[in-house]
Amino acid sequence: MRNASVLVCGVVLILLGFSVLAHAGAPPVVKIGVIEPLSGNAAAAGQATKAAIEVAADIINRGHPELARLPLGNTAGMPNLGGAKVQVIFADHQGNPSVGQSETLRLITQEKVVALQGAYHSSVTVPATAVAERYGIPWMVGDSSSLVINARGFKWIFRSTPIGSNYAEAYLGFLTDLSKSGTKVKTFAIVNENTEYGTSVGGEIRDVLVKGGFALAAQIPYNANSTDLSAEVLQLKQKDPDVAIFVSYTSDALLFTKTFKALDYSPRMVIGDDTGFSDPSYIQNVGDIAQGVVNRTAWDIGKPGSATYRINEMYKAKTGVNLDDTSGRNMQGFFALMEAINRAGSTQPEAIRKALAETNLSPNQLMMGYRGIRYDATGMNTLASTYVNQLVGKEYVTIWPESAAHGSLMWPFKGWR
Amino acid sequence: MRWGWLALGVVLLVAPLTFQDPFYERMIALVLLWAVLASAWNIVGGYAGQVSFGHAMFFGVGAYLPLLVYTHWGGVPLLGIPVGMAVSACIAILIGMPTFRLHGHYLSMATIAVAELIRLLVTNWEFVGAARGLGGPASGRTIWDLSYRSSIPYYYIFLAVLASVLAFTYYMEKSRMGYYLRAIKAGQRAARSLGVSAPRYKLFALIVSAAFTSLAGSLYAVMLGFVDPDSVFGILVSVQMVIMAALGGAGTLIGPLVGAALLIPLQTFANSLFGGQGNGLTFILYGGIIILLSRFEPGGLLEIWNHYLAQKSRVGRTE
Amino acid sequence: MIALQVIVGGLLLGAVYALFSSGLTLIWGMMNVVNFAHGDFVMLGMYIAYLAVVALHAGPLVFTLLAAIALFILGAAVYYGMIRQVMRGPMLAQILSTFGLALLMRYTVFWFFSATFVTLPGSALSGSLKLGGILIGFPQLVAGVVAISLSIGMHLLLTRTTLGSQILAVSEDRQAAMLMGIRPDRMQALAWGLASASAGIAGALIATFFYLTPTVGESLVLIAFVVVCFGGFGSVPGAMLAGLIIGLIQAASAYYIGPVYKDVVVFALFVAILWVRPQGLLGTN
Repeated sequence: MRNASVLVCGVVLILLGFSVLAHAGAPPVVKIGVIEPLSGNAAAAGQATKAAIEVAADIINRGHPELARLPLGNTAGMPNLGGAKVQVIFADHQGNPSVGQSETLRLITQEKVVALQGAYHSSVTVPATAVAERYGIPWMVGDSSSLVINARGFKWIFRSTPIGSNYAEAYLGFLTDLSKSGTKVKTFAIVNENTEYGTSVGGEIRDVLVKGGFALAAQIPYNANSTDLSAEVLQLKQKDPDVAIFVSYTSDALLFTKTFKALDYSPRMVIGDDTGFSDPSYIQNVGDIAQGVVNRTAWDIGKPGSATYRINEMYKAKTGVNLDDTSGRNMQGFFALMEAINRAGSTQPEAIRKALAETNLSPNQLMMGYRGIRYDATGMNTLASTYVNQLVGKEYVTIWPESAAHGSLMWPFKGWR
Repeated sequence: MRWGWLALGVVLLVAPLTFQDPFYERMIALVLLWAVLASAWNIVGGYAGQVSFGHAMFFGVGAYLPLLVYTHWGGVPLLGIPVGMAVSACIAILIGMPTFRLHGHYLSMATIAVAELIRLLVTNWEFVGAARGLGGPASGRTIWDLSYRSSIPYYYIFLAVLASVLAFTYYMEKSRMGYYLRAIKAGQRAARSLGVSAPRYKLFALIVSAAFTSLAGSLYAVMLGFVDPDSVFGILVSVQMVIMAALGGAGTLIGPLVGAALLIPLQTFANSLFGGQGNGLTFILYGGIIILLSRFEPGGLLEIWNHYLAQKSRVGRTE
Repeated sequence: MIALQVIVGGLLLGAVYALFSSGLTLIWGMMNVVNFAHGDFVMLGMYIAYLAVVALHAGPLVFTLLAAIALFILGAAVYYGMIRQVMRGPMLAQILSTFGLALLMRYTVFWFFSATFVTLPGSALSGSLKLGGILIGFPQLVAGVVAISLSIGMHLLLTRTTLGSQILAVSEDRQAAMLMGIRPDRMQALAWGLASASAGIAGALIATFFYLTPTVGESLVLIAFVVVCFGGFGSVPGAMLAGLIIGLIQAASAYYIGPVYKDVVVFALFVAILWVRPQGLLGTN
């Protein structure tokens, strides 16, 4: 009996010893929490972002010589952290602010992530970032547009993505250049879905364009996920603006395009503000009747052999479609976050925060077309910017600004003709 | 039976202190919040038999008011609580009077429609933040802002509110009003022939239910620090309240608490375990469990418990 | 001119509403069960049509028929598997079971198809007709014609055939019907099958001009409830009429008042109607 218990104790001790040794030898892992809508109405966007970030994590963890110009592109893991790999833990907030807060809490206190990213819906990002701020954990906003996020005096929240004012400036620049070259673009209309995204971005675009000398023919807010959009299109047909600008999610973008054809409405220019119009399923489903739709994007696939082309190939291998702007912006946010963590050389929250605040990335270190990444005191990227592109065939071609353009504007809108 | 209540009370009082984990502490705080909501619904839906699918309107009003007070006047959100309850009571009277003349499905549909109407109006009203919603104080300015990092203070606040709702329900059940409501639930015509003024009692039940729902909504807004039309006026909020009360046992005192204690952890763990994969498994499980429970035990979980007790006493007698 | 276009558009929209509400009124009126999963039955019809086109290159007639048959079977199965038991319990349990069913169906489709939006490939039913300056979407026109035929057909089935009177008998008084030799379970399963089949047809036709995503049922179900209640529970012609009226009101208020108000107007009117005339247009009380 005594011998048996000695044996058991011995086995247990040996096993314990092994487990200690095993953990001691295991390479450290840096955990990042990403909270996105992986179910519900916005699941398509959430899933695309998840795939994009998984590709980014893979790039960081393995060396890719052709991506050497990107920080951490050609390293295996993070050099300043002893080659530690990044591990992304995804959580679904279901579009619900309360779930967003709960999952943030879980990622911080149970999964012990060193930083967070998310969350697409501004209605979730706003309360969830408040939790991160309270716990002193850095948060990278790669996609949400609400101004409130960085307007609360928080110091742990950083946003790499351009927002409504950037988009408005881009449209202003584009339309001003266009009118200077003689194309008739005097009047515009804004058709926006009436939740946070549509209202704030739509409002920004309206204000900036009016100030820039363009005449507002109509602003038509509508209910997102409508079953029918004929009235909206009929109203547009009545007002006949030179430029019709849409701020919509995918479902409505699809329905609008189909309704144009059904009601034989072909405005001289259609601008679709990213989101719904950049969704790959938009091109797949209605691309053939939406030829010439103008869009904005900070993502350009680039020439074969370039870093951006390689990244797109990796994403396409994983998902079967090209990388879209929104997922690309999230991917860029993730890269910027990991670059800062690597530069900090530590996983201590304050060190990461300091590194983030000191970020100074130049355009050729980025995959997106920003003028760089540098945050102001509120955490906003002062160098965020966007291109304007146009749907030609099955791809979006960058047409503005001239420095980045691959093609010139096809005018008027062709649609299905 | 008294010992049962005592034991329950002790467990509820001590629970948060046993966890040492903010995530679980938040989860049980939310269990109590939803127990309050389900119990409040239970007053008019379980006891009086008036199945409302629009209680989110009271929840939303309660949630918006404290943050309105903060946003427009920089005031202490708590001040919005009594205002919210008053507004909810007014809505209950205005809506309740014509609506609760209807029965069964008509009533349910009317409550859905009114709640949706209010949600649409709020979504398009600038003063209350339209679709963007309203935020609360970024961090607590004074102790009255009730802005805590930990969920434990909220847990105890919800516990106090739950105790009041249950106390009210208990005394109502035992009182003449409870007797009348049971008569109304059994059959309105029969009740009327007894001289029971059905509309008056139904309305009273609705007003109390609305007030408690509103109170819970206000506390939710203070805890979360953010409201928007979809998250507080949406139909899913109404449906959740009904599900929890019904699955636990509508028309019983602690049925709603049982329902909340089962469903909130179920939802939370399902999402934490499976949500990250993004394949919808969370909802497949949730839907499946609701189907199983409602099909095999339509009376709710408490029915299962009652069956078990009945069986035990039968066995005891034969020995 | 524009006014006429708005009216025509509204009527077409209303016909589509009537199309997917016709099944719901049967279940609701006949068996007193609120089917929260109705929108998801329609969604399933849409996906079956999609699969038929993608896998079998089926034309509209074929894929509509397939959707109808598949959903008939599903409806009957749901009845035997779940509704029959739940109906004996309290109303709450019935409602909850269909809510659970809705979630289960929606996210099972989500599991297989994920969240990406798809549309029906091929253009069997597409394009617009131009009649006197008014544009009429061809798929919507077809859907409208089918809606009317389906309503008439179902109404005739219920009121002029033996089968129909048997179904009605069961819904009126189950015990009495059993005494008359009618098998109540079989009749009610049939009713569920018919209702689901019509939801399937609705889905298949809607798929020709709308987009498909697993959560599309959510937005449809609320309108269906309003249409059915407004038309009168159990009245198939009532659902048709109600659908047309609601479509017209929506289109008119969207164009003349503002698109964001179209739902507000519909719900406000709906609540008013419930207060004034709860049994709806053609319902009996």
